[in-house]
Amino acid sequence: MAKDVTIFTTNTCSYCSMVKRYLDMKGQRYSVVNLDEHPERREEAMKVSDGAMTVPITVVTKQDDSREVIVGYNLQRLAPAVA
Amino acid sequence: MVDLASTHDLIVVGAGPAALSAAIYTCREDIDTLLFEKGAVGGLAAVTDWVDNYPGFAKGLPGLDLSEAMREQAERFGAKIELGEVTSLKKDGNLIKLETTSGAMTAKAVLVATGSEYRKIGVPGEEDYYARGVHYCATCDGAFYRDKKLVVVGGGNSAVQEGMFLTKFATHIDMLVRGDKLRASDVLQKDLEAHKDKITVHFNTTTDEIIGANNKVTKVVGTDKITGKKVEFPTDGVFVFVGLDPNTKFLAGASVELDERGFIKTDQHLMTNVLGVFAAGDVRSGATLQIASATGEGATAALMVREYLENHQKISNTAVQTLYGE
Repeated sequence: MAKDVTIFTTNTCSYCSMVKRYLDMKGQRYSVVNLDEHPERREEAMKVSDGAMTVPITVVTKQDDSREVIVGYNLQRLAPAVA
Repeated sequence: MVDLASTHDLIVVGAGPAALSAAIYTCREDIDTLLFEKGAVGGLAAVTDWVDNYPGFAKGLPGLDLSEAMREQAERFGAKIELGEVTSLKKDGNLIKLETTSGAMTAKAVLVATGSEYRKIGVPGEEDYYARGVHYCATCDGAFYRDKKLVVVGGGNSAVQEGMFLTKFATHIDMLVRGDKLRASDVLQKDLEAHKDKITVHFNTTTDEIIGANNKVTKVVGTDKITGKKVEFPTDGVFVFVGLDPNTKFLAGASVELDERGFIKTDQHLMTNVLGVFAAGDVRSGATLQIASATGEGATAALMVREYLENHQKISNTAVQTLYGE
C-alpha cells in the first residue's frame, strides 16, 4: 500500500473513475481534487505532472516518501506504484 | 475475487457497450463470464460527453452515466470485470488459450468486443505535445482550456459533438475539415449552427503540423486546398477527432481474419473464422459504430455463444467443426 494517493479529476472524466475503481478494488485509500470544483488548482496539477493538461493525474507517495506521478489511466504504472 | 486459473465458459475481451450487453445475457443464463478491460469500462461511450440517441432515455444522458448503468446491470447478474489486457489468443483443441496481464487462462468461447480508438493524424508535433496540448478526449481534458483558444481537427460526428462540448470552456474554436463538407449527422450540424459564434469551420483545410514553444502548443499550420497556400491557426491546444481505428493489434498471430482496415470479419453467427471466437460491436467489420447497434450485437453474440457452448459441451470438437462448416 502507498502512504498517500491524490487523484486530480474532473466530473466528466471516465478514466478518472477507472483509477478510483482500481484503487477501491485494491483497498487503497486516496483523496480527490476535482478540478471542475477547484479550477484554481489546475496550475498545481500541471506543475506536479510536468505540464500535462489531462486528467487523471495520480500522485502516489510511497512508504519511503518517494513520489511517483502517473498521467492518465496507466495500469502498468499504477499497479506497482500502489502495490 | 476473480478466479483466473480455471477454464471460463466465456471470456469477453473489452467492456464497452457490446461486451456489457453480451455479459448481461450470458450471466443471466449462468454462463461463467469474465470480461477484460484495459481502458475505461464503457469504452468510447464512456468518454462521450452526451448520448442523445440511445433508446429509452428521452432526454439523453452523459455517456459516462450510460456506461456506469450498463456496468452495474452486468455486475448485478454476476459479470466479473478484470482490469487488465489480453495480449494474445490461440486456439488449443476445443478451448481457446489467452495470454493476459493477469496471467495465462483458457475459455471455451471468446467474444472480442474491443471497439476502436481515436485515430491519430500522424503530423509533426502531434506526438511531441501529446497530453500537453494535443488531446483525443474532450471530456477528460477540456477543463484545462477555460478561456483559451482551441483547434478541433475533423468534421465527423465526434468532432462536431466534442467541439460543441469544448465551447463550455474555450473562448473560440477553429474546426479544420479536410473535405468540402461536414460528415456529421444533420442533427449535429443543426446543433453546430447554434454555436457559430464560438466555432468557425474551415473547409478544405489540411492539418500539416502542430507547433509549440516552451512545452506548450502555440499554433497549427495547415494548407488551404483551394488556394494551395499555408494557413496558420494560433491556439492553446488541439483536439483530434479524425476517425477510428479498430483495437485488433492483440490478434496478430491469432489467425483471426480481418478486413483491409483491420476490423474483424464474422459470419451470420457473429463468429470469426476461428471456431469459438466471436466478435461484436465497433471492432466488427461492417459495424455501424452506434451504441445502440453495439448493444444489439452484444445480445446477439451472447445468444450465438450460448448455442455454441451447448454444442461444445455435448459433442466433440470435430463434430462442432462439422456443425459450423469449418
